[in-house]
Amino acid sequence: MTIYINGTGCISHQNTIDADAFFENREIDCLPLLVAQEPDYKGYVPANMLRRMSHIIKMGVAAAKISLQQAELENVDAIITGTGLGCFEDTTKFLKTLIENNEQLLTPTSFIQSTHNTVAGQIALLIKCHNYNFTYTQQGMSFESALVDAMMFLNENKNSNILVGGLDEAIQPYYDLLAKAGHIKKQEDVITEIEKNKTHGFCLGEGASFFVLSNQKNKTTKAQIKGLKTFTFIKGADDLQNKLTTFLRGIDLSINDLNLVLSGNSGDAEDDTILNESNRQLFSKIDIVYFKPLCGEYFTASAFALWLASAIIEKQKVPKVLIQGHSNKKDLKTILIVNQYRNTEYSFMCVSSC
Amino acid sequence: MVFVTGIGIISAIGKNVSETLSSLLEGRTGIGKINHLQTIHKDNYVASEVNYSLQELENLAGLKNSNYNRTTLLSLLATQEALTSAGIKSISAHRTGFISASSVGGMCHSELLYKDFLEHKSHENFIDTHYTGAHATDVAKHFGITDYITTISTACSSAANAIMLGARLINNNILDRVVVGGSDALCKFTFNGFNTLMILDKEWCKPFDDNRKGLNLGEGAAYLVLESERVVKAENKKTLAILSGYGNANDAYHQTASSPDGQGAYAAIQKALEIANLSPNKIDYVNAHGTGTANNDSSEAAAMQNIFKENMPLFSSTKAFTGHALAAAASIEAVITILSIQHKIIFPNLNCVSPMQDTILFPVTSLQKNVEINHALSNSFGFGGNCSSLIFSKN
Amino acid sequence: MENLIEILKKQIIEQLNLAEVKPEDIDASAPLFGAGLGLDSIDALELIVLLEKHYGLKIQDPKDAKNIFQSVKTLAEYITSQKK
Repeated sequence: MTIYINGTGCISHQNTIDADAFFENREIDCLPLLVAQEPDYKGYVPANMLRRMSHIIKMGVAAAKISLQQAELENVDAIITGTGLGCFEDTTKFLKTLIENNEQLLTPTSFIQSTHNTVAGQIALLIKCHNYNFTYTQQGMSFESALVDAMMFLNENKNSNILVGGLDEAIQPYYDLLAKAGHIKKQEDVITEIEKNKTHGFCLGEGASFFVLSNQKNKTTKAQIKGLKTFTFIKGADDLQNKLTTFLRGIDLSINDLNLVLSGNSGDAEDDTILNESNRQLFSKIDIVYFKPLCGEYFTASAFALWLASAIIEKQKVPKVLIQGHSNKKDLKTILIVNQYRNTEYSFMCVSSC
Repeated sequence: MVFVTGIGIISAIGKNVSETLSSLLEGRTGIGKINHLQTIHKDNYVASEVNYSLQELENLAGLKNSNYNRTTLLSLLATQEALTSAGIKSISAHRTGFISASSVGGMCHSELLYKDFLEHKSHENFIDTHYTGAHATDVAKHFGITDYITTISTACSSAANAIMLGARLINNNILDRVVVGGSDALCKFTFNGFNTLMILDKEWCKPFDDNRKGLNLGEGAAYLVLESERVVKAENKKTLAILSGYGNANDAYHQTASSPDGQGAYAAIQKALEIANLSPNKIDYVNAHGTGTANNDSSEAAAMQNIFKENMPLFSSTKAFTGHALAAAASIEAVITILSIQHKIIFPNLNCVSPMQDTILFPVTSLQKNVEINHALSNSFGFGGNCSSLIFSKN
Repeated sequence: MENLIEILKKQIIEQLNLAEVKPEDIDASAPLFGAGLGLDSIDALELIVLLEKHYGLKIQDPKDAKNIFQSVKTLAEYITSQKK
C-alpha cells in the first residue's frame, strides 16, 4: 500500500519554514542546545487560542497548519501526534507553582495544557475535526508509533487524509534536568562531524514536524513512504544489520537501491556504537548524511528526518549544509532514514520519489 | 476477530481480579480517607488509593531495590496477572506487543524531588523515569515483550485507546497477541490540577445523581491480553470475551468540557457499533464513563439517549467503587465489563438517588444477577475532547 | 470604585495573558464571557484564583461565579461589598 506525503510543515532549529533558504544555508551551529526558529504565530492561530499556548503547542499547531495549507486541505480524517516529553513548559510551570505555593492558589491553565494530547486536541478545535485523534508518548518511538497508526488507518480507510506529527520542546528546565543527569554534551566536545564523536552526551534540540498523508496521489504530493519498521532493544550491530536487510527485502529493495542514508547519530559515542558499526558494514558504497547536527537530539527527531527526506526528494538536491557527506550523484530517488534514541529505540523509514 | 484471553487488575478495590470481584459483589468501595498521598488536602478530600505503600507494592511484585515508581509497579503487577490469566508460557512463541497508557508516568516520583532540583540540592536523576512511556519500556522488558511497545496518552480515554490499538494491530496482521491497558498512580500534580478545575467532590462521588458535585480521583492499573483468532484456535485457548467493537472520535468543543449534546461521545459509540456490526438495540449493558461531574454525566446521558433512543440498555458507572483512575480508568472498567459478561452480573451505580433533571435516563443502582449480557459497551472520555468506546461480547 | 475597576482590568489582562488587549479596550459594563472579551470557563476558574490571590475572597462553587463575573463592574461591586 502506498502512502503519499501530500503536505509538510516543520519548525526546527533550521529555517525550515523557508525550505529554499534552508537548502542554501551552509552553517552548522555547534551548540549543546539547539532551539527552534519560530514564525510569527499570529499568522497561524487566532489570538484567543494563542494567549494560552505554551511553546510546544504553538510550534505544533503552526507546523500542522503549514502542512494542511501545503496539502490544500481544511480538514482531515484523523489527527495523530507523537511526543516523548509532552507539554513540559506547562508541566514545570504548574509543578513549580504547586511547590512554591504549597498546593494553594493554583491556576488551571497550565495544568490543562500539560496533558500530552493538548496539541492534537488544539488542532482538532482549530479546524473543527471530530475524527480519530490519538497521541503517542513512547519516548524515542513516539513519532514512529504515530506513523504505524497512520499506516494502519490508511489501510482500514481508503481515500483518507491524515495529519501526523512528531514534536518535542527543549525548554530550560528540561535542558537543566538532562544536564544534571549527565546526558548533555559539553560545549567543548561538540564537533560538526557527529559520527566521529568519541565523547559522551548529545546536543538537545526541539521541533515540530507535521505531514499530511494519504493513499491518494495529487498535485501536492512530494514523496511516498515505502516502509517503516521499529525496534526496541537491539542486541548489537549484527542484529541491526540483519533487521535492516530484512526490512529492505520486505519492501522489495536492496542496499544498492538506496541513493542516500540519513543517519540518526546523536553524538553520544556509546549510544552511537551499534549504529556506526552497522553503517560501516552496510553502507560503505552509499552516501550517509547525519541529520541531528541540524535539529539536535530529541524524542521525535526522526520526524525532522522525514521532513528532510521528503524535501530532498521534492527538490532533487541535498541541502548545502549536508553536501560534505554527499557525492553529488544525480539520482535522489530512494532515501533510507535510520534512527536511534539512547540505543533503546531504533527505526527505519524508507522514503522515495513517486 | 480479537479475543480477550487474560485480564489483570489492581486498584483501590483489590490487588487482583478475585479481590476486585468480591468488592464489586459486596458493594465495597475503594474510596475513602487519603492514606498514602502526602498532600495538604488529605484531610479535606477523599480518594481511591491502592492500599499498599511503594515498598509493599515492590514486595507484591517479588522485587527488591527495583527503583520502579508507583505507576510502573502498578503496571507490572496487573500485567503479571493478565499474562498468567492468559496462560502464556512463552512470550516469543508469537508476535507479541505491549501497548500501555499513562498520564502520570513518573510524575509521582518527580514531584517529590523537583523542589530540591529547583534549589540545586537534588542529586537524583529522576528525568529518565519521568516520561509517560518509561514504564512501558520497563514492564515490557521485564516480561520479555519486544516485538512492539508503545504508550498512548490521551488523558482519561488513554487505556481504551490502547485496547483499540491492540485490536487493530492484530486485525492488520502486525501482531498475533498484545497486552493492552494502562496505569496511573495518584500524585499531588494531578490531585491539585483537578482541584483547580473545581471538579472534585470532597465527599464520596454520586455519578448520574442530580446533586452530584464532582469526581473522586483514583489510581490503579489493568491490562487485557488480546489474541488473534488464529492463535486462539491453534492453541485451543480458553477465551473470556470478544473485543468486537471500538471507536474514537473528538468532541472538538472545548479543551476540557464536553459538549452539551455529547457529540464526540455519540460519534465514538456509533463507530464502535459499526465495527461490531451491531445496531444499538443489541447492547445489553453500558459501563458508563460516569465520573460524577455535572458536565460529563449530562453530556454522556445526552449522547446515550441520542444513540439508543427508546432502546436504552441498563447502564451504570462503577467509578463510585474505583474512583477515576485517569489513564487507567478505561482498562479497569474493561475488566469490570468483562466480569459482568462472564458472571452475568451488573454492578451497581452507587450513590445515585435523585434522577438528573435534564434526562430521563437513570442507572442501575443495585446489584443485578442472572443478566444475560451478550454485548456490553464501555465509554471513556478525556480532556482534549478525546472520546472512546469499546464493545465486548460474550464468547 | 473607579480606581478598583482600573486595577481589575490590569489584573485580568495579566492573569488571562490577554497580550493584545489594553485596559482602555475593556468596557467596564460589557459582558466578560460569551460576547465582549469572549472569555470561557477556564478563564472563569482563573478569575476565581485572582479573587482569592489579590482580594482574599474565596468562591466555593463555580456556579456562583456567573453573576459576579458578568462584567468588570459587577466584579468590582462584589469585591467592594465583601470588604464592608
